[in-house]
This record gives sequence, structure tokens and C-alpha cells, in this order.
Amino acid sequence: MKVSKGEIFERVFINEPVNLCIDQEADSQVKIHVINASFAITVNQLGEGCKTEIYALENLHGSDSVTAETHVTHAVGGGTSNQLIKFVLDDNSRGRFIGDLKIAPDAQQAEAHQTNRNLLLSDTAEMRTQPQLEIYADDVKATHGASTGQLDESALFYMQQRGIDKQKARQLLVNAFMKEVLNTISDETLREQLIHSLDSLDSY
Amino acid sequence: MNKLLEIKDLHASIGGKEILKGVNLVINEGEVHAIMGPNGAGKSTLSAVLTGNPAYEVTSGEVYLKGQNLLAMPPEVRARAGVFLSFQYPVEIPGVSMTNFMRTAINEKRAYEGKEPLSAKEFLSLMREKKKLLELPDKLNNRSVNEGFSGGEKKKNEIFQMAMLEPCLAILDETDSGLDIDALRIVAEGVNRLKTPQNASIVITHYQRLLDYIIPDFVHVLADGKIVKTGDKSLALELEEKGYEGL
Repeated sequence: MKVSKGEIFERVFINEPVNLCIDQEADSQVKIHVINASFAITVNQLGEGCKTEIYALENLHGSDSVTAETHVTHAVGGGTSNQLIKFVLDDNSRGRFIGDLKIAPDAQQAEAHQTNRNLLLSDTAEMRTQPQLEIYADDVKATHGASTGQLDESALFYMQQRGIDKQKARQLLVNAFMKEVLNTISDETLREQLIHSLDSLDSY
Repeated sequence: MNKLLEIKDLHASIGGKEILKGVNLVINEGEVHAIMGPNGAGKSTLSAVLTGNPAYEVTSGEVYLKGQNLLAMPPEVRARAGVFLSFQYPVEIPGVSMTNFMRTAINEKRAYEGKEPLSAKEFLSLMREKKKLLELPDKLNNRSVNEGFSGGEKKKNEIFQMAMLEPCLAILDETDSGLDIDALRIVAEGVNRLKTPQNASIVITHYQRLLDYIIPDFVHVLADGKIVKTGDKSLALELEEKGYEGL
């Protein structure tokens, strides 16, 4: 599909697999959220001054298996892209992130950020992450980071020392981790609704 | 006087290394006990063991809180039973607001005591009242727990939580470290105002300075995992003058 010059394309996909290939014309904006579904999203910034945002939250349980795939290309300069992909993996779930980020030789002054953070809640869950950056221009700002870890034991103990049940303390930390993605949703009603459904798990 | 805490021949280790080598201590209601001692003597280990920090292993000994076996309780139950630790290094919890954190903690404690949870309104007015005690700003409510707080704010925030939870036994682990004199005064006044004839405190400190503000009934010197000397507040002054080697 094509997002025309100056247009804005914004979508939130919940529980539905996503397969998108988007060409962006100059000064267009793309903002996509995917929640709890596999996806493959390709975005090509073909015009100057484009803005691309991809956010994903994958909260996996049981034998869930999810693959998140992004291919973002800055073909011309002056555009920005931001990706935040988060996985929470419990039980025997499997997660995979493949993230290609390409900045072409002509894409001077592009700004691109890719972040993948994963939280493992069980010893049998598994996460594979394959970020790949190809940067051919020299005057760009690009960052990427990928990390997979467990809940912060010192934070858990701190909460237990205040009388909070360990299970509830875990839930509070996991929710905080997930909210970072939900907080980026523009639609206030939907954002509040999704955050509220998390909070109802952990408060009185 | 009622016995609040009794520690009998407590031994504890971390990573197989014995740190506490037979601590004995009785604390009655209404008392303030200072524990002083050189680095590595086991002061922080004692606070960690009393609160059930899983990094430490109790190898032998017994601890009773109001006659109940404290060591048999998980950390959160010890907290609900009234053991509070003001952490030497309060932990930052990004994404968890002070309000949500504190409300969860209060209501867990109330459930343990068989009380109804506080309504949002009751809770917020309690927060407001207790924050005044520590001269903490209102904006704290919406901030993540300890995140981006200055050293002084973190320590005040510990005492604020203590004011909210009203423990029967408060352990202040190096609460004075990193505080300037104004923050120290506010923190100490907060602690003093929370004192009742029914509760007690253990004040762990390196320096006599804090004890100018929080006057202890007893001063104990912990060295190499044991309490080697006990006295009144004059012992702290003596230590300041002569150092631990002078004992």
C-alpha cells in the first residue's frame, strides 16, 4: 500500500496477525501498534521528511509462538523512524524478533531508532532476537538496542518488604514493563481502556 | 515492658561465607536501639536477615516477633506483621507509581489485619497527611517509585512509607548516609514523631551524628558478626572519640 504525500496512516491491531508493506511518500506519517499477534511490516521511506513509528507488545503464555518482523528502509534523507518491540514470555512460549533497518547512501540526516526489550518470566520460555542494521550514509543518527532479561529481584524484594505479595509484585513490574508500549497509543479512549485492563489485575 | 523482638544466637551467611556469628538481642516495646560497628561487621546483614532477604541464609538461631517465629514467615508476611526496613539503597521501580505502590502495600496490610481496604479518598487524604510530616512535594504521587529522586528524597520517601505503614519494628539501615544536615533533621524528626510506647526502632549507623537527633536507649557495637559491647548513648560518643579499635 501507499501513504501519499503529507498523509497520516495510523492503526492499532489487537489479536490479529498483520502483514503490511507500505511505501511512504514525502512528509507522510505511519504509526502502527500491534498487540498480541505475529506480524511482518515493511516500510519504505521513499520521500523526504517521512515519520515512521512501529510499536509492539507481545504478552505470551502457554505454548504461544509469535514472530515479529520489521523491515524499515530510509531510501531518502530527512526522515525519522522509531521502533519499540516488547515481549513478555511466560510458560513455554516462544518469541522471535527480526528487525532490519536500512539507511541508504542517499538518506543523509535520517534518524532511526530500534529497541527490542524482552522479559522472560519462566525458565522454559525462549526468545530469539535478530536485529540487523545496514547503514550506508554517514550523516545519520541511529540507535538500536536489544535485551532479554528477568524481573529485577531487588525491586521484587523491596515491594515484598512493604507487604506486597510476591505474585502481585511480579504483576506490578510486568504491567509497568508493558505500559511503556501502551502509553504511546494516540487514541486516548483505547489507551485508557487497555491500561485499565492491566491495572484491574493489580489494584484493589 | 513487653518483649517485641528476641534474637537468639543468630548465624547467617551469604554465598557460603558466615557473616553473623551468634547475635543475641532483646528489644522491648518503646525502645530505640542503635547498632554501630565497622564496615563488614554484619550490620546490613542483620537487617537483611530480619526482613527475609532471599540472598542470605540463616544457618542457625531463632528470632521471635511478639512471640511468633519470624524466620518462618515469608518477607511480605513479616512486613504485614509490622517489620519495616528503611533501605540503605532504596530501589527504583520505573513505571510503578508511588500511589499505586503505596495503596497496594497499605491494603495488603489491612487485609492481613482483617480490615477493609481504604477507599481512594481515604487513601489520598492519608497520603497528604503523612507527606507533610516529611515535607515531601505533592508531585511525588504520580512519579514512579524512587525514580529520579535525589538521595535525600529517597531517604525521606522511606520514612514517609514508614509513616503510612505504622510498623511495630522499624529498622533504619544507614538512613543518615548521603543526607545533608537539613534532610537529616527532617528525617530524624519524622522518625521521632512516629515513636509510640508500643513500637521500637533499630537504628543502624556508622556515625554518632544521627544519634544527636534520634536518641537511643541502647547502643550496641557489632564487630565480626557478634555484639561485642552494649551501653547507653554515651557509648556512641566514646566510639566517635576512640574509634572501634579503642574498645
